[in-house]
Amino acid sequence: MLEVDEVTARYGELTAVDDVSLTVEDGELFCLLGPSGCGKSTVLRTIAGFEQPASGRVSIRGTDVTDRPPHRRDCSIVFQDWALFPHKSVLENVAFGLKMQGVSTAERQERAREALDLVEIGSQAEAAPAELSGGQKQRVALARSLTVDPDLLLLDEPLSNLDRRLRESMQIELKDIQRRLETTMVYVTHDQNEAFTLADRLGVMNDGELVQVGDPATVYDDPGSRFIESFLGSTNFISCRVVAAEGQPILAAPFGVQFRAPIGGEPLAQGDTVVVSLRPERLRLGPGAEVATTAVEDGGVATDEVSVPCSVVETIRRGSSVRVRLSAEETNLFIEVPVGDGVDMTAGDTVALRWTAEDAVYFAETGERYR
Amino acid sequence: MSTGTSRLSVPALPDRWRTLLLLLPVLLLDIGAFLVPMGYLLRLSFTAQTSQGAFVEGSWSTDGYQYVVSSDLVHQIFTFTVAFGVGVTLLAVAIGVVYAYAAWQAERAGRIALLSVAVLSLFTTLVIKLFAVVLVFAPQGVLNDLLTGVGLLSEPVLLVDNLVGAVFGQLYIVTPYAILAVYAVLSTLDRHQVEAARDLGAGRWDAFREVILPHIRPGIAVATVVSFTWSIGAYAAPLLLGSGGEQTTGILISELLLTQFDWPAAAALAVITVTLVFSVLMAILWRFDESGGILNA
Repeated sequence: MLEVDEVTARYGELTAVDDVSLTVEDGELFCLLGPSGCGKSTVLRTIAGFEQPASGRVSIRGTDVTDRPPHRRDCSIVFQDWALFPHKSVLENVAFGLKMQGVSTAERQERAREALDLVEIGSQAEAAPAELSGGQKQRVALARSLTVDPDLLLLDEPLSNLDRRLRESMQIELKDIQRRLETTMVYVTHDQNEAFTLADRLGVMNDGELVQVGDPATVYDDPGSRFIESFLGSTNFISCRVVAAEGQPILAAPFGVQFRAPIGGEPLAQGDTVVVSLRPERLRLGPGAEVATTAVEDGGVATDEVSVPCSVVETIRRGSSVRVRLSAEETNLFIEVPVGDGVDMTAGDTVALRWTAEDAVYFAETGERYR
Repeated sequence: MSTGTSRLSVPALPDRWRTLLLLLPVLLLDIGAFLVPMGYLLRLSFTAQTSQGAFVEGSWSTDGYQYVVSSDLVHQIFTFTVAFGVGVTLLAVAIGVVYAYAAWQAERAGRIALLSVAVLSLFTTLVIKLFAVVLVFAPQGVLNDLLTGVGLLSEPVLLVDNLVGAVFGQLYIVTPYAILAVYAVLSTLDRHQVEAARDLGAGRWDAFREVILPHIRPGIAVATVVSFTWSIGAYAAPLLLGSGGEQTTGILISELLLTQFDWPAAAALAVITVTLVFSVLMAILWRFDESGGILNA
C-alpha cells in the first residue's frame, strides 16, 4: 500500500530523516512513535508531498509519487492544529476536497453531511470553525480528510491538543472508524500510550532514524535498544559490573547482589558495564524475611530468581496503582503495584524485591541490546 | 469596562464621564487636526471671489461650486483624476498582493531581500523618488539604454512626460504601502491551511483563491484605501512625470490657489474631492466589515 524506500530528508545542514524505509499494508494503522524532533513529522510530510526527500522514493499503491505535488497524491493529512479554513463553514470545510474534484454542489453537500454524521458532529454543519471546541474541530478535520476517500490517511498528532480524557475516548473512536472504513492510516505521535492503543504496528524513531518496527507488544517486550526501552515506559536502569565473562556472564549490582545474566555470545570482559532494565511491572515484592530464605546457589550467585533487600522510601498513590519507591543500599528503585493488591507498607519497612533474570533486559553502555 | 469601582484613591466617576475623560485627548486631536481645518475649508468654499484678493472675508456665495459644476475643464480633470486613482489603485493592489505572496512563499533570505526593497523605497523623499523614476525611464535613461544596448529596442521609447510616466511615478509612491499592508496580514496565515487545501486536491491557484485570498481581504482593504486616497490626491507624480494632459484635481487646485487666486473654487473642489474620497473609504470599510473585516479586527 505505502512504501517508503530509503528516504533521507534534510533542512539545510540538518538531516531530519536518515535513510528511513517502511512498508504499510492495506487497511493497517501504522504509528510512527518518537520524541519531538525525531523526524517523524518530516516522514509524514514527505509522504504527503510537502517535503521533497534528498534521496529515496515514496510509492502509494505501487505508484511512485515522489515527484508529484501534494494535490496529485491520493492521501490526506490531518494536522495537529487541524488547520480548518476559518472563512468557511464546517460543511464547506468538509466539502472542500470534493469541490476541488469538481463534484456538484448538491452531491458534495450530501457527502459532506454523511462524513459529519460519521464523526457525530452533523448538528454543527452550519457553524464556523471558530465556534467549535478543540474536540469538535478535530472531528471536522477528520471528516474533511475522509470525504475525499483517500487511499491513505496521514495523521500528525491530531489529538495532542486535547485534554487527556477526551484524547483517550477519541483514540477508541478513531480506531473504530478506521476498522469500519478499512482506511490505511499512518499516525504520528510522541505518546506511547496512544501508539499502543491505536497501532496495528508501530515504528519507533530517534534522531531521524527508524530504530525498530513491529507490533506494539513485541516492541515493548523485546526492545532493540536502551533508547526504545526508556522511551516506551518508565523503568529501573541499573548499571552492573561484569565479574565473570565466560559463558553466561555473572553481573554484580551496585547493591551487592550477584546474578547470572541469560545473555551469551557477547564479547564481554571482566569489569565491563552492563545496564540492566527492570520494568516496574515485572518486579515483585515479598516480606523482608524472604531474602534470607531464598536459596542462593552457586557460591552466592543467583541464577534464576534474584532477591534484594530494600527499604521503602515512600508510597505514592497514583489513581489505580501505587508506586513504591525503594532504596537498596543507596540505589533508588521503584515498583508499581495495583491498588488493593494487599500492599501494606510504610516508609522504613524492609521488603524483598524479587525478579527473574529472564524478565530483565540487558544493554551495553552504548545503548545496544545484549541478548 | 464598567466595573463601577474606583482605582487608586480617585473617587468613582460615573462610567459615562470616565469614558469621555479617557477619550478627551483623542477628541482634542480630532477637533484640532481635522474638524477645525475642514470646517474652515468648508466655510472658505462658500465665500465670494474677488479680483483683488483670494476671497471676500465673511461673504456667502456658491460661486465656487457653480464654477466646479459648470466648467467642462473641471469635469474633464475630475474624471481623469478618478480614473487615474482607480487605475493606480488596482495596479498597486494587484502588484502588492503578488509581491507580498512572493515574499511569503520565499525562503528566509529571499523574503528579507524582497521586503527590504519595498521598505527601502520609503526611505527617500517624494521628489528624490520621482527624479529616480525619471533617471530610469527617461529616453536617455537607464532602462532605455539597457533595452537599446542589448538590441531589444531599436530606438528609445517615451516612458516619461506622458500617462505611463505619471502612473509609474504614482505606483512607485503607493505600491510599497500596498505590499506591506497585504504582507502584514498574510504573515499571520497558518501555512497548514494552505497545505491542507493542497492536500485535499487544490492546485496552487485554487489554494490561493480558496484560502489565501479570504484571509488577506483586510490587508487588501487597507491597501486599497491607502492607494486610493493617495492617488486621488496625486499631485507630484503627474506634475513631474506626466505631460500637460495628465492634469489632476490636485494640480488644478494648486493652480486655482496660486495662479488664479480663486480660493473659493479651489476650496469647493477640495470639499467635493474630500467628500468623494470619504464616501468611497466608508463604503470599502463597511463592505469589508460585513465579511468579517477590519473595523472589528
